[in-house]
Amino acid sequence: MVEAACLDLLSLSSLHLALHIPDGFLSLPVSLFGWVIAIGLIAVSLNRVQSEYQERTVPLMGVCAAFIFAAQMINFPIPGGTSGHLVGGTLAGILLGPWAGSLVVSVVFIVQAVIFQDGGLTVLGANIFNMGLMGTFGGYYLYKAIRFSIGRNSWLGMLIGTAVAAWGSVVVAAIFTAFELALSGTVPLGVALAAMTSLHVLIGIGEALITVVVVSFVWQTRPDLFYNPPRKDWASASG
Amino acid sequence: MLLHIGAFHVDVDSKRTTPWHALAPRTRLLCAVLSVFAIALTPNGHWLTWAIYGIGVAGVILLARVTLPVLLKRVGIEFAFVGVVLLGTLFQPGGEVLWSWGWLQITTEGLTVLGSVTLKVLLSLLTLNVLILTTSIPALLHALTVLRTPPLLVAILASMYRYIGVLMGELNAMRRAAAARNFSGSNRWQRLVVGNMIGALFIRTYERGERVYQAMLARGYTGLPPVDDVPKGNWRDILALTLTLIWALVGQLAGTMILEL
Repeated sequence: MVEAACLDLLSLSSLHLALHIPDGFLSLPVSLFGWVIAIGLIAVSLNRVQSEYQERTVPLMGVCAAFIFAAQMINFPIPGGTSGHLVGGTLAGILLGPWAGSLVVSVVFIVQAVIFQDGGLTVLGANIFNMGLMGTFGGYYLYKAIRFSIGRNSWLGMLIGTAVAAWGSVVVAAIFTAFELALSGTVPLGVALAAMTSLHVLIGIGEALITVVVVSFVWQTRPDLFYNPPRKDWASASG
Repeated sequence: MLLHIGAFHVDVDSKRTTPWHALAPRTRLLCAVLSVFAIALTPNGHWLTWAIYGIGVAGVILLARVTLPVLLKRVGIEFAFVGVVLLGTLFQPGGEVLWSWGWLQITTEGLTVLGSVTLKVLLSLLTLNVLILTTSIPALLHALTVLRTPPLLVAILASMYRYIGVLMGELNAMRRAAAARNFSGSNRWQRLVVGNMIGALFIRTYERGERVYQAMLARGYTGLPPVDDVPKGNWRDILALTLTLIWALVGQLAGTMILEL
């Protein structure tokens, strides 16, 4: 009953922002923990990306961050009658790799928090942890494990890996958000888990569908742009 | 299919001359960040602390002569999004039960959390909005560099800021193109079109990244975008930072003392 009531409350309004925690919702220890992890993640990924892309880092990461930012603004219909928008963590990981992907997603969160107050400043660390580390990094390795176990060059592997990772990353991020809210004493764990998970199981389906379409478009047109491009002979493998 | 953020020119009040604008951007950034952390990380139920902070925030809003309708409209929109999550805080166990319906209970504890979180969100939003309305984004980026943020990160942020407008324009063009070709049909078809648009945007973006890099090198890029006159730090900045710090501490102490009495 708690679940049903909360779902009603939540589904009344826009689904936007459900994963961006605002300022004031998390306690000091939880916020600090998030910041420590986020700063570590950004520092390491800056180094890794710099050594990989060298002097192309700035323009490439800049436009890719702008791309994720822009892609998040397009609303599309999700099954169940509402509309949602892309979170893009897993998509960034699949296209750019785990390090560049989480860097780009973190940069997007910084800009959203500071300039658009979309997600809070004190909880920025926790938001980066939920969606940068869990969504992009976790999402990337989940996708990679599934895709490579089915076959690097097979579209089926790409399809299943992308769909599962995109859906999973949204749901896992929602579960982490619920635990953070509960640990801070803001929302009781039961209510938070029930509301966040049931809502994001749906949002995750939208995320998975749209990520699959994007990935399939790139697979058909420029498969060499993937972080793990299919090996040679990709034209026949994609058919 | 809608784009849910409109304009990107946010620093509508950045050209005024007030004591707040006389501060170096880095001081304004530090004061705002310090205030937000003090406001947001105060434990629930410290009402006096937020009263003191509220007076401070109101003082800065008046001092900086921020355009109030713009400020209130922005805070209003942002607050509407937060409102949904806020409702969840109401159903806390503990304290006296004031109202119950099935499993749902509203308790004194729940009301305390709801009130506290609402105040914290409101004050943080006001503070950050004052900063963003009065300080241009290049000035903020410059402030980040002065404050020893890794230059690579600042450069990526700057480059992203430059290209958001361009990519939004490109998305709008694609949206118009889709609309001109009778974009409608089943949800499945709509998702397919939107997904392909995002995919096409990525490919264009990646190629643009390469071109931008060549163009930047050709124009003697040194790593940071140019900034127009930024006031240098002086005694005002030290004074402002000290005041903010004292204000933050006084608020915390007052809040704790009231609770102990």
